[in-house]
Amino acid sequence: MAEHSGPDSGKHKANHANANSAALLHGRAGAGTGAGGLSGGLSQPAGWQSLLSFTILFLAWLAGFSSRLFAVIRFESIIHEFDPWFNYRSTHHLASHGFYEFLNWFDERAWYPLGRIVGGTVYPGLMVTAGLIHWILNMLNITVHIRDVCVFLAPVFSGLTAISTFLLTRELWNQGAGLLAACFIAIVPGYISRSVAGSFDNEGIAIFALQFTYYLWVKSVKTGSVFWTICCCLSYFYMVSAWGGYVFIINLIPLHVFVLLLMQRYSRRVYIAYSTFYIVGLILSMQIPFVGFQPIRTSEHMAAAGVFALLQAYAFLQYLRDRLTKQEFQTLFFLGVSLAAGIVFLSVIYLTYTGEWYAKIHIPIIASVSEHQPTTWVSFFFDLHILVCTFPAGLWFCIKNINDERVFVALYAISAVYFAGVMVRLMLTLTPVVCMLSAIAFSNVFEHYLGDDMKRENPPVEDSSDEDDKRNPGNLIVTMLMLMLLMMFAVHCTWVTSNAYSSPSVVLASYNHDGTRNILDDFREAYYWLRQNTDEHARVMSWWDYGYQIAGMANRTTLVDNNTWNNSHIALVGKAMSSNETAAYEIMRSLDVDYVLIIFGGVIGYSGDDINKFLWMVRIAEGEHPKDIRESDYFTPQGEFRVDKAGSPTLLNCLMYKMSYYRFGEMQLDFRTPPGFDRTRNAEIGNKDIKFKHLEEAFTSEHWLVRIYKVKKLDNRETLDHKPRVTNIVPKQKTAVLDL
Amino acid sequence: MGTGSSRPRAPPSCAPPQVSAAILSLPRPGRRHLVPSPAAAAAQEVAAMAGLAWRLLLCLGCALAAPDLVLEEAKRTVDLSTHLAKVSAELNLANPPGGAGPAGAFLLALEPGLEPRLAYLGVQVKGEEEEENTLEVRETKVKGKSGKFFTVKLPSPLVPGAKIRVSVEMVFTHVLQPYPTHITQAEKQFVVFEGNHYFYSPYPTKTQTTRVKLASRNIESYTKLGNPSRSEDMLEYGPFKDIPPYSQDTLKVHYENNSPFLTITSMTRVIEVSHWGNIAVEETVDLKHTGAVLKGPFSRYDYQRQPDSGISSVKSFKTILPAAAQDVYYRDEIGNISTSHLLILDDSVEMEIRPRFPLFGGWKTHYIIGYNLPSYEYLYNLGDQYALKMRFVDHVFDEQVTDSLTVKIILPEGAKNIHVDSPYEINRAADELHYTYLDTFGRPVIVAHKNNMVEQHIQDVVVHYTFNKILMLQEPLLVVGAFYILFFTVIIYVRLDFSITKDPAAEARMKVACITEQVLTLVNKRLGLYRHFDEAVNKYKQSRDISTLNSGKKTLETEHKVLTSEIASLQSKLKTEGSDLCDKVSEIQKLDSQVKELVLKSSVEAERLVAGKLKKDTYIENEKLHSNKRQELVTKIDNILDAL
Repeated sequence: MAEHSGPDSGKHKANHANANSAALLHGRAGAGTGAGGLSGGLSQPAGWQSLLSFTILFLAWLAGFSSRLFAVIRFESIIHEFDPWFNYRSTHHLASHGFYEFLNWFDERAWYPLGRIVGGTVYPGLMVTAGLIHWILNMLNITVHIRDVCVFLAPVFSGLTAISTFLLTRELWNQGAGLLAACFIAIVPGYISRSVAGSFDNEGIAIFALQFTYYLWVKSVKTGSVFWTICCCLSYFYMVSAWGGYVFIINLIPLHVFVLLLMQRYSRRVYIAYSTFYIVGLILSMQIPFVGFQPIRTSEHMAAAGVFALLQAYAFLQYLRDRLTKQEFQTLFFLGVSLAAGIVFLSVIYLTYTGEWYAKIHIPIIASVSEHQPTTWVSFFFDLHILVCTFPAGLWFCIKNINDERVFVALYAISAVYFAGVMVRLMLTLTPVVCMLSAIAFSNVFEHYLGDDMKRENPPVEDSSDEDDKRNPGNLIVTMLMLMLLMMFAVHCTWVTSNAYSSPSVVLASYNHDGTRNILDDFREAYYWLRQNTDEHARVMSWWDYGYQIAGMANRTTLVDNNTWNNSHIALVGKAMSSNETAAYEIMRSLDVDYVLIIFGGVIGYSGDDINKFLWMVRIAEGEHPKDIRESDYFTPQGEFRVDKAGSPTLLNCLMYKMSYYRFGEMQLDFRTPPGFDRTRNAEIGNKDIKFKHLEEAFTSEHWLVRIYKVKKLDNRETLDHKPRVTNIVPKQKTAVLDL
Repeated sequence: MGTGSSRPRAPPSCAPPQVSAAILSLPRPGRRHLVPSPAAAAAQEVAAMAGLAWRLLLCLGCALAAPDLVLEEAKRTVDLSTHLAKVSAELNLANPPGGAGPAGAFLLALEPGLEPRLAYLGVQVKGEEEEENTLEVRETKVKGKSGKFFTVKLPSPLVPGAKIRVSVEMVFTHVLQPYPTHITQAEKQFVVFEGNHYFYSPYPTKTQTTRVKLASRNIESYTKLGNPSRSEDMLEYGPFKDIPPYSQDTLKVHYENNSPFLTITSMTRVIEVSHWGNIAVEETVDLKHTGAVLKGPFSRYDYQRQPDSGISSVKSFKTILPAAAQDVYYRDEIGNISTSHLLILDDSVEMEIRPRFPLFGGWKTHYIIGYNLPSYEYLYNLGDQYALKMRFVDHVFDEQVTDSLTVKIILPEGAKNIHVDSPYEINRAADELHYTYLDTFGRPVIVAHKNNMVEQHIQDVVVHYTFNKILMLQEPLLVVGAFYILFFTVIIYVRLDFSITKDPAAEARMKVACITEQVLTLVNKRLGLYRHFDEAVNKYKQSRDISTLNSGKKTLETEHKVLTSEIASLQSKLKTEGSDLCDKVSEIQKLDSQVKELVLKSSVEAERLVAGKLKKDTYIENEKLHSNKRQELVTKIDNILDAL
């Protein structure tokens, strides 16, 4: 960025005859980054500079906000996907019943018959934030519906994220890099994927809290002031209340301190900052009911405690060293202590993450979630585009000119890259640091090529004009190239946002040949039918993916939902789905199920339906009931999963199969395919004659996407096979029995 | 009712009915009287007179209202083709010659079975010019008789021997009972209607006919009093001669009726008036299919593949909105309902509403529809007097039935003296206050309820109120004030120092920066002086006028002295601040004095040149030398300044 050299060198020239070159310079600086350059020649450079920064940040906020509105403009102001529906429902509860009622909320509509203590099992930060905004707006008589607050919360917070990224990068490098970083994070797809309008999820506000906490931490390490550290703790507290990812902070900050110690960069500032942060942050984080005593019990918090102890010991030794003279002994001692602490620290990390891997291998329910899959190389480029190539350069710049806070950003980058590689959803934590480091790289390049320009203007005319001509095009080319990269980045971001991340997934859209749009609103059709036309206390069984949506949109009791805290309950539902009808009926009777809801995409070719998820149900059921359900039964002898005639008979007669394909065998979708042709799996179904004994079709949505079955009550007791005695006197007791 | 006898059941007493002038609501002149608008003034007068006459009539009591009238002829049509029972009757009313006197009103009666389901009753008289006059109807009670009674005021008293022809229109809701009450998806819907073979009247009827219009020709059963003729979907009873008053005999029809049995079980209509030119209307509708309840499964396959599957279900209906309706939305608790179409016509906006799912018997749904209207079409004003004229209830679907309606009219903040004129009786609840954007003391809300409404109730209600126009300024001023406070706070925050500790280093730095700034301008000014002097020298060289040179020199000297001393004072200031910039400034001073020397030298040389003491070549050479030197010095100064 040019603005650093802008104000001081540009000023005097304007008073001389060099006005032309100055104007040229301004033009270029303005085109390059839009920041700072204009200040040259103006009477109050500081004022202009802050005005420009303010304007750029405001525009970044605006751009970030508006690029997240694709879904709202294309569809409507609606809550997306699955988890946001739960968040919305609890925010609604908070807004209509008050905070304490929310904290004490026992949700009897989830996990029937267990229920769920919502207040103690959520990170309340998101709901409280939205509820607070709603409350303030309504206090001011701005009558906004809580839904709109929820829908637009994440886009608004993306602006705050941009500002906190700006602040953090400014602390690390300089203002120019900060502005670039703010612009990057405002539009980068890796972050937009979790914060489009309608995606009312923890991550939307947590990234802001994360960046802001890191900014305050860097600030406190730089100043060593308790004030900043306390601010950092408050921000950390907000982060803890908002997202489980706070563990990242409570491990990264100790790691930073530890590495500073190793690098002999210990100072009183670090000591003050970390000691205060650890104590106050620990106490604050324990105030969140869901976190409770975890910070002093679980392994992922132990690194922080270890480093705290180490820091105290180190500080004590430092104090001793001032008093004593046995230099060698102390060095030896220091080495011993730091080695021991290092081993403890590493083993804790090792245990933590091996623990996670253990979970992945042995609990299919965690592995079944698509966002827990490892990240592919493509998705790195898809989510970060050019930044993924430039951020190592930024990291190199940081390491080259190392200081306390740049150690921090280097550690941040390295650990985030590792986590993003492990799990695709942790791409989110990588995105901010990539933006910051790329901004540093770009800023440096611009500073070099544009800044050189200015220095060359300074020497008077003797400078040979030939040389000038030779160097100018080179600079120009580099600058143009960089600008082009940035432009392509912006285009890519918009494209990705528009095409990949702006679908509410509650509403589907298909396009005809002439470009007109068909909206497939089957989910809401079925959920709304449940809401309006079933008993208020009806219990709906479905696979856990749809639990939150049923609770949110249909307002009915569900058996399992996306919280997935009780594996055996989920396994029971999986077992019911994968057993035959009679066995399933027994399970459903024991669980008081009134309706069963499934998603079936065979008519329109929707690939995310329950048959495609079916193997996970079988696996999870097998995990808990290995005697009754065996995954191998659902495969053909060749080991294939097929729904056509060649499929295994167990599959063709299980409840899920029957519910999905009930009466589908009669349906001919077009003339080229036989009746009962499943478009999702491109196969003619193998069991076309499906009859139910204990279920009946209650509702099927327009495109058959959602099918709801009613579980019948027990039949009347079977009539006696022998004729009752014919007498003149009708025995009263007998008729009473018959009437049953 | 329900005895099933085919013989007219004579009431216990055939004596002329006793009207106990127990009027339920006190009359207000001109209020309930529906006047055709053109002849407003005349009508007013008539209304006033009518009111007077009415009171007179009340005082006189039964004597005037109940002479022995006779129904010469009653032609009744019962339209059962929809889910409503619409009864229209043409009555030929006569005051028999030799009667008790002129009759100012006559009585209408409703049989006890149907009476609670009456939604609308309208009586019109056909005048000579075929224009229709709606007559005033008032509920009353008759001693010893069950059922509902209404007195209908005649346009002019009926003298003995005179006749009048009136037409009565009645609409009953929920009188068609589905039978069987539960049907499967494939079955058709049959309903039963139970009514009266005779026109129920307190007066004897000479001749009467009843015609029953059904929804289809598929009739399961019907009562066969007097051997009715049946054609297509029509049953014709009668003519019955000389029927005594209060005759009742159950008429029962069981027939196929697949028309949509939609009922609005409850509806809230909110009308928000803004004096900035907009009226926002929002209707929250609870809809239920009140026909035969669906039993057994709902099969989408059958519904899609077989045309007569679910024939009584409701797939969609049309709502007609006002022609000026804009920004129409149709949604429910979980978002926009994407299955709807809007058609803008010349005289209305038609909205084809498809609920999210087809409505079968017993199924219900709930939705919100809203739109904006320009206020100039509905809001009238004269000075501070305002009148809002809007429909109390609007069209939702054809043949609509609304079980319960709540209307809320939100008037602008500061509206006073509210007074509502309604075309029919409504139940006003206590007024409420509503707070929305930029409100401080709340907007008054008129709340009104009415139950059991049909299409005939789509009529205008007029709300009169006064509103001080100055209050229009309140909201903009509020916004301006808020921004003012915001900016002012920012200004205060930026300008004032709120830190509790002083940072001397930062303060000193700022002071130094300030001084340097001043030094910079002064130095630049001084350099400018030289340029001025150069010009003066050049001028002197051309004009050879020594006075210009001298004066130029003088100004240079004086101003230079001033500037230099100023810089020196600043320099000393810098010194007191302890800044090392002080040395640089002194360097500048030194360089500057050299520059000044050079300048003076060149001027002296110019003088000599002019005086001829110097050759031109040497002068030019010297001048070049000087200027080069000067350039060097100036560059040095520049560099130092840059460093500053």
